Amino acid sequence: MRLNTLRSKMVVFLVALLGIVQITVFALVNTATTNAARTKIDDELTVGEKVFASDLKQNADRLAQAATVLASDFAFREAIATGDGATVDSALENHGARVKAAVVLFVDLQGMVVDDTLRVGAAPRRFEFQSLIAQAKSAGQAAAIETLDQRVLQLVAVPVQAPLSIGWIVIGFPVDQPLATQLRNLTGLQVSFVTEQDGRWNILASTLSTDQSQTLTARLPSYRQALLTRVISMPQQHQLRVVPLGESGSQHFVAVLQRPIDDAMGSFRMLTAKLVVLGLFSLALSITGSVLIAVGITRPIDALLQAVKRMRGGDYSIPIAIHRGDEIGILAHGLDHMRAGIAEREQRILKLAYEDSLTQLPNRSQFSERLQREIVSAGEQHRMLAIFVMDLDRFKYVNDTLGHSVGDHVLREVAVRLRNLLPEDDCVARLGGDEFAVLVPTGDEERVVSLAKSIILALEQPIDFAGQPLDVGASIGIALYPSHALDAQTLVRNADIAMYVAKRNRSGYTLYDPHYDTTQQQHLSLLGELRRAVEQGELRLYYQPKVTLSSAGVHAAEALIRWVHPVRGMVPPGLFIPFAEHTGYIKILTRWVLSEAIRQCGVWMRQHMDIEISVNLSARDLMTRDLPELISALLTEHGVPPHMICLEITESGFMEDPAHAQRVLDRLSAIGLRLSIDDYGTGYSSLSYIMKLPVNELKIDRAFVSNMSEDADMMTIVRSTIELGHSLGLKVVAEGIEDPKGYALLRSLGCDFAQGYYISPPMPAEALPGWLNGSIAIRRLPEAMIAQALAESGESSLSAAG
Amino acid sequence: MRASLALLLCAAAGVAQAADLRVSVVDGANLPVADAAVYATPRVPVPHGALPRTAIDQVHRAFVPLVSVVQAGTPIAFPNSDNIRHSVYSFSPAKVFTLKLYAGTPSNPVLFDQPGIVVLGCNIHDTMVAWVLVVDTPYFVRTAADGKATLSGLPPGDYELRAWNNSMAQEQAGEPVRIGGDALSPRQLRVDGQSLATVH
Repeated sequence: MRLNTLRSKMVVFLVALLGIVQITVFALVNTATTNAARTKIDDELTVGEKVFASDLKQNADRLAQAATVLASDFAFREAIATGDGATVDSALENHGARVKAAVVLFVDLQGMVVDDTLRVGAAPRRFEFQSLIAQAKSAGQAAAIETLDQRVLQLVAVPVQAPLSIGWIVIGFPVDQPLATQLRNLTGLQVSFVTEQDGRWNILASTLSTDQSQTLTARLPSYRQALLTRVISMPQQHQLRVVPLGESGSQHFVAVLQRPIDDAMGSFRMLTAKLVVLGLFSLALSITGSVLIAVGITRPIDALLQAVKRMRGGDYSIPIAIHRGDEIGILAHGLDHMRAGIAEREQRILKLAYEDSLTQLPNRSQFSERLQREIVSAGEQHRMLAIFVMDLDRFKYVNDTLGHSVGDHVLREVAVRLRNLLPEDDCVARLGGDEFAVLVPTGDEERVVSLAKSIILALEQPIDFAGQPLDVGASIGIALYPSHALDAQTLVRNADIAMYVAKRNRSGYTLYDPHYDTTQQQHLSLLGELRRAVEQGELRLYYQPKVTLSSAGVHAAEALIRWVHPVRGMVPPGLFIPFAEHTGYIKILTRWVLSEAIRQCGVWMRQHMDIEISVNLSARDLMTRDLPELISALLTEHGVPPHMICLEITESGFMEDPAHAQRVLDRLSAIGLRLSIDDYGTGYSSLSYIMKLPVNELKIDRAFVSNMSEDADMMTIVRSTIELGHSLGLKVVAEGIEDPKGYALLRSLGCDFAQGYYISPPMPAEALPGWLNGSIAIRRLPEAMIAQALAESGESSLSAAG
Repeated sequence: MRASLALLLCAAAGVAQAADLRVSVVDGANLPVADAAVYATPRVPVPHGALPRTAIDQVHRAFVPLVSVVQAGTPIAFPNSDNIRHSVYSFSPAKVFTLKLYAGTPSNPVLFDQPGIVVLGCNIHDTMVAWVLVVDTPYFVRTAADGKATLSGLPPGDYELRAWNNSMAQEQAGEPVRIGGDALSPRQLRVDGQSLATVH
């Protein structure tokens, strides 16, 4: 039991209190008892002393009476009155013997001892104790203790009357052992007759043993002190009274009354012992009682304490089951009420904190925590787990064009589909916006991939909103534990990276590859260098010519950015453009590219080379408000007419925020700039949407072009795209032409412009004029070659038409 | 009082045959002493016949009278007027006797034949006491309240004049007095070592 607990404090307090009470009571009772005992035995001794005095006086009276009787005896008086000396002597002796007197004297009226039983026949002498006679004369009788002939005697004097006083009979009685014994029997006290002279005590008679008598005389103090002494050590303690009896000269006669204190205290000692036993017993009883009470009080408090500990640990689930009518019961009830309230609120807070209110799916926080837990358990069980990070492809478009309520509907529907599709164990969460995540706690890579596929499939089904089908797809990035990352944060980031790759590649899902990450790492270090590149003029513009297929002339080129790194050499755009797009630095790059391209265009125009220059704009560039003004300023500065500049925008570039893109494109078009849809065919832009845009040109994605020679489907796509473009009044550009066959095919298909390595890789501006002069042979392929190409690809009908 | 009792004797010279002797008795403080016995004892005893008897009664446990003066040879009867018995005794040398317990009047009176002071007691009643002064002369008298008395009819001759009362344990020495012849001249006498009496 620790000393600072409530229980131990109560026990200590109660025990101390009771102990103090017990000790106090005992002390009081004991003191009172002892005092009472001392008073009692003191009183007893005082009573004894009084009894002794009374007895002594009675004894004297008795003796005096005996003497009086003797003095009254007629014959005795006759003998004395008639003065018969011998008769008188014999009468004194005879009558003295009757009362057991030690000595009998006859003193005449002149105070002379006429007869003395101890000195028969002696000459008369003056009586030694005249005061005794004087006292007897006035009181009728007198008694005193005196020493006569070295004997201590109690003397009694009475007159002899015949019938007038004719003298005094003085009778002496011995103060001896029988007297002491007689007085002891009456008083119950030890009686000693003692004389004192010059500080020396001498026992005359005593009821004490011889040893004790000697001790007494040895220990008695001086006479005066002895009269005040109440206790003497014999060596055991005796109560004591010294009663003065008389004195003769320097000699004092006293009676010493005494008794052992132990005798008197015996019964009180017994009482004290009983009191101690009683005290100890009740103390033990009270300690037991107080411990029981303390335990009784503190047990429910302990239970409360346990409950509070549980709650402190965050466990609000167990009710506090203490049902009592007292304060603790009320406290427990209140605490339980509080616990229930906290539990409920915690549940609500948890819901708010961990649940997405729109879809009722776990939110990012809950997903992260769940992921961390799952990683721990997966790590312990040596199993794999996978996470998907998923982004809806055309959500922004839906949200912007159809409104937030539709967007919300889409998100809810996506949530329902994911939830229905995935087993209960798999955690589906909405990370924010149109981003979802799935935690697949078990399974191998095969299962994970098939799951990803089924998700893609499920989300490809159009979502119905008020009878209108909405087409939203999804891109999924997959990261696996432990092969891709060991912690939750990195795992999510890697899945994110994989998701972006999937989106870029339009591959639906992508399993994370460490390579993506290293690219990212390089990107990070690139930021600083990219800034320097702009400032130090490390960037270059290369130009890739666009051949007009109908005439084999070159009237346009695409400006492509190149970075001549002072250390790394030529850095391919693929390494820094996505990064620049990601970080927003692309705006700076685009500004530089526009400025340089327009300047170059102006240079060439002044050299009478009218080359229309295409510049790539990213989705972010479209977000720049002052883009049209900027371009206008540059055109003016370099004296370039707007139609000489073509802005190439990818489908994804405007599908992110179609409404805004529309507005910007309208303004750019109003300036007179030409607009081109880059990488056409990879996105999911609807034709109806494209028709609204003020574009002049479609640029077929290189993926279709480079494969069309071998792939009939690709060929069909390319052809239909060309036809579609033409039918909408747009020029069609094919890029990625790598061989003469493709070149020939495109021409036969009626494509307007061609661009690719077969014609020319991108080249510095200064190389272009020279190339223009030396490339006629390439541009003008022999007709035979074109016919062959057509024949091989099974497009003979077309060739006939071309 | 006993020790200081003064006897003042005043003898008046008178006729040649017989004379009256006036006496006044005072104590040591010169205060008159009443009821004191004054008596003159002739040098030559006066012969006498049988003397009349007298009595000392016992009434209410007391002798009555308390003090008696009688001439030697006087028989005294001790009647008992109480309804209890008494035992009268005397240890005085002038007359030692004991009357056994009796009631009424004993048959024989006690003869007081020796001059002297006799103290009487009762053997069973210690408080009872009486005095009998036995004198060897017929000339005795008791003083009045003023302490004065007159001895009348003293024939001429030499006398021993004495005074006594019951506070005195013993008789005083006699004062010699001569009746007849020359007139008495006043002089001082010492009694018990004190100047007490003046004889006229």
